[in-house]
Amino acid sequence: MLLTITTFLPALGALALVLVPGTEARQHKAFAFVLSLITFFVSLGLWFGFDASPGAPEFQFEQFVPWISSLGIGYHVGLDGVALLLVMLTTALTPIVVLSTWNAVEDRVKEFMIALLVLETAMIGTFAALDLVLFYVFWELILIPMYLLIGVWGSQNRLYATVKFFIYTFAASVLMLLAILYVYFHDGGTFDYVEARQALQVSPDAARWLFLAFALAFAVKVPMFPLHTWLPDAHTEAPTAGSVILAGVLLKMGTFGFFRYAMPLFPEAALHFRTLIATLATVGIIYGALMSLVQTDMKRLVAYSSVSHLGFVMLGLMALSAEGLTGGVYQMLNHGVSTGALFLLVGMLYERRHTRLISEYGGLARQVPLIAAVFVIVTLSSVGLPGTNGFVGEFLILSGTWLSRLRHSAVFSTLAATGVILGAVYMLLLVERVFFGKLTNDHNRHLPDLTLREGFVLAPMIALIVVMGLVPQPFLAPAKPAVDRLVQRFQQVEVRLGQGPQVGTETTAFAARAALPGVPAMPAPLPAAPAHPEVH
Amino acid sequence: MTGFPTKDFVALVPVAILTVGAIALLLSEVFLVSGRRSYQAVLTVAFAAAAGLYAAWVPPAGAVFGRQGMSDNFSAFVTVIVCGGLALSALVGAGWLDARGAERGEFYALAMFGAAGMSLLGMASDFLVAFIAIETMSLATYALAAYMRRGRRPAEAAFKYLVLGAISSALFLYGAALLFGATGTTLFSDLSRGGGTALHLAGLGLVAAGVAFKVAAVPFHAWTPDVYEGAPTPVTAFMAAGVKTAAFAVLARIFLGAMGGGTEQATALGGIVAALAVLTMVFGNLLALPQRSVKRMLAYSSIAHAGYLLVGIVSAAAAGARDKALSGMLFYLAAYSATAIGAFAVVGAVERRGGRDDEPADTWDLDRFAGLARRRPALAFAMAVFLLSLAGVPPTAGFVAKLYLFQAAVGAQLYGLAIVGVLTSVLGAYYYLRVVVYMYMRPAEGAEPDGLSTTGLTLALGAAVAVVVVLGVLAEPVARLAQAASNILS
Repeated sequence: MLLTITTFLPALGALALVLVPGTEARQHKAFAFVLSLITFFVSLGLWFGFDASPGAPEFQFEQFVPWISSLGIGYHVGLDGVALLLVMLTTALTPIVVLSTWNAVEDRVKEFMIALLVLETAMIGTFAALDLVLFYVFWELILIPMYLLIGVWGSQNRLYATVKFFIYTFAASVLMLLAILYVYFHDGGTFDYVEARQALQVSPDAARWLFLAFALAFAVKVPMFPLHTWLPDAHTEAPTAGSVILAGVLLKMGTFGFFRYAMPLFPEAALHFRTLIATLATVGIIYGALMSLVQTDMKRLVAYSSVSHLGFVMLGLMALSAEGLTGGVYQMLNHGVSTGALFLLVGMLYERRHTRLISEYGGLARQVPLIAAVFVIVTLSSVGLPGTNGFVGEFLILSGTWLSRLRHSAVFSTLAATGVILGAVYMLLLVERVFFGKLTNDHNRHLPDLTLREGFVLAPMIALIVVMGLVPQPFLAPAKPAVDRLVQRFQQVEVRLGQGPQVGTETTAFAARAALPGVPAMPAPLPAAPAHPEVH
Repeated sequence: MTGFPTKDFVALVPVAILTVGAIALLLSEVFLVSGRRSYQAVLTVAFAAAAGLYAAWVPPAGAVFGRQGMSDNFSAFVTVIVCGGLALSALVGAGWLDARGAERGEFYALAMFGAAGMSLLGMASDFLVAFIAIETMSLATYALAAYMRRGRRPAEAAFKYLVLGAISSALFLYGAALLFGATGTTLFSDLSRGGGTALHLAGLGLVAAGVAFKVAAVPFHAWTPDVYEGAPTPVTAFMAAGVKTAAFAVLARIFLGAMGGGTEQATALGGIVAALAVLTMVFGNLLALPQRSVKRMLAYSSIAHAGYLLVGIVSAAAAGARDKALSGMLFYLAAYSATAIGAFAVVGAVERRGGRDDEPADTWDLDRFAGLARRRPALAFAMAVFLLSLAGVPPTAGFVAKLYLFQAAVGAQLYGLAIVGVLTSVLGAYYYLRVVVYMYMRPAEGAEPDGLSTTGLTLALGAAVAVVVVLGVLAEPVARLAQAASNILS
């Protein structure tokens, strides 16, 4: 029930906003802010109520209500640890985003807030759904408010960007709908995810096609190379709020989809396509980084860096070792926080100078020392400096991949590691060109520094960067049961296939030891694949 | 034993109500003293509601008139859709006609005669009854298309519609005659008898072509864009909802009758309809892409939707998926009717009016929709809901309807058709969204007039939005009704 309340509270708020007169822009902002804050506090109940012990049920806060029973569709929601983390990310980011748009959005404020709140409901619903059709409904519902956010409040080239965004994602998802329908006829006639996962009976060939249909929808959303081309356009043209939500939450829906649906439903097919996906992920890491190096537009640079970062997440997932998966999940959160913060900062600079071109800036550190300081912290988190959240995620992914049984894992992790280096290069170059060096452009001489409101926007992000970097355990703990279950599921498949071990790590003990020193605050052995079946 | 067949005539009560209503409106014109005609739309809605409610509440009578008509849940569902479409179109028409000084009882009377024919067509299970019903429906719609007779476009549209419609009726009739020769009966249920002859196959093909004209399946679609664009907008709305529903109802009955034996002819017929479905989905969507006139785009889109519905018809051939396919088709027809009428109503509200009855070339141009969200937020919102429903985006009726139909197709293992269906619907998303882009994201070019705004229009749009959203969010009751109605008697 609590989960349902969290999901629909923003939508109810949007409905209430419809009734508020259209001219009171400040009221709308305040209302949306307070409402998203309330949603966050309600969702804290989920955070503290979640039982992360190994014996706890897989899905918690479960609720089932018959919906369109004659079609086999039910309203079934529930959270596992990964979904919980992403729901928390969503509810935490939304008030920040609302606060950040205080002065940026002047036109049609009411509609803007309505779109934002509907978007929040759709995002939470996507993570909470445990029915395939319900999931699809929320998944597609995202498109409408996002399409409006980019198209109505975006910048110059917004119409092209928003139509491209919509058509790209819509086209990729319709085949997933067919796959869902196919699943319905091969699991005893239900759309319920938990039942379908148990009862699904399909031939290996069919499973591969189904996996591809799901994977296509998710890969576009992630976005994986070479399906990423909508992202730079959408990110660049979207208003700051849109970019933050897009980077912070929407992209995670793709990786979450792999974790929750594509991989557990069709494990054999996932193993079959594993090398291909890992290759694309690695290409994406390097390609995204190289593209970032040559961008002249700040937002575009951050957008391409997202392609690179999400490549890490996908590589971690495909490693299919506990470390890699955990790292992937952690990196989803990291990317949400640090890239979200980067877009907020770029948005603040844009509000001051109305340009996103890097060449227009330079030597800002003297004028706006606070912004510069925050920018540097966020940059360090983005490049994965030890002590920040980025380090934990990237380290887990790289070590998890290296030690995993993914074929050529050493090659993958080595190449991915060069992506880390390139990441440092383009981010630090950006900082240098924007904040340091000589102040040449006269327009930059009198810029106001961080305001109090902007401080409130950025403070939680900085806090998360530091806390998640130093004390990762509370954020890793909820993910552990879900990760372990996925690994176990793959181990069962491995036994069934009888082609030797393919998941988990080469040597459990070594992996645990390797993971320890780098992350001082990380307690006890990481979820190394328990009782690995060397013996089967 | 030869008593008066009361039961048979009772089954015709909805048709009778609509006919009486039509006559009443015609007579009222004779005795009219004042020029006020606003009661006419109200009267039409009342008669439509009476007929619809009767069909919905009174249990169906079963086979009537020696099995030439079937009064079952299926026909009741069709009647309800048709009456709903009639009521909504009448509400839309009232303001539209009034603004052009053309409100007359004949308009509503013709619409009700047409609706009577459609309801009858939903019951027909015999070629003769079907032909009479088709003609009743068609003659009324020919006349309605020509209602604004002084304009150039309406005249062209009506003429085209009449000529091509007559050809399709002739094809249908000739096919029925051949089938009578092959099977010795005109009943649908005996269609599979005497299969195997060339006569039988030719008859089926001709009948299929005749109905394909009515449902506007490619390659029998050529009349649709011109007629839909040229006809008065409320009439277009009524045709899109009513004619399509009734034609698909009779197509389903004929198809299932022909499928009964499971002969080679049946498989051939299935193949033909499947090919029609693919062509219709692909070309309907492709041709809609370049249209700048929103009304013409919606006309092509109605062709595309006929393609999806044909997928439902083909799926009904598989015994295991029959219930799902038929109920999916009914649900789709209900969803599409509400959505299409709503969309055409908005088009009617914003269209530019020329002098006299002639529309200027840019009457329905996309530019007319530019900045609509600022000028008329409610109207733009309603249009956005309809367009999203047409595109099949949740949480609208169009999504559930597509889900329903494609579920049937996957259940019938028609994976190819299903894949073509969902991929072409992506094209649909593109051209529907373009209108949304104009409404919400482009400023108006010049000072556009606000367009039409009447009580009837507001009511109709409100009702249509409600249906689209309720069918999208709380689909269960209607889905259950559709399921009950899928049990076709034959």
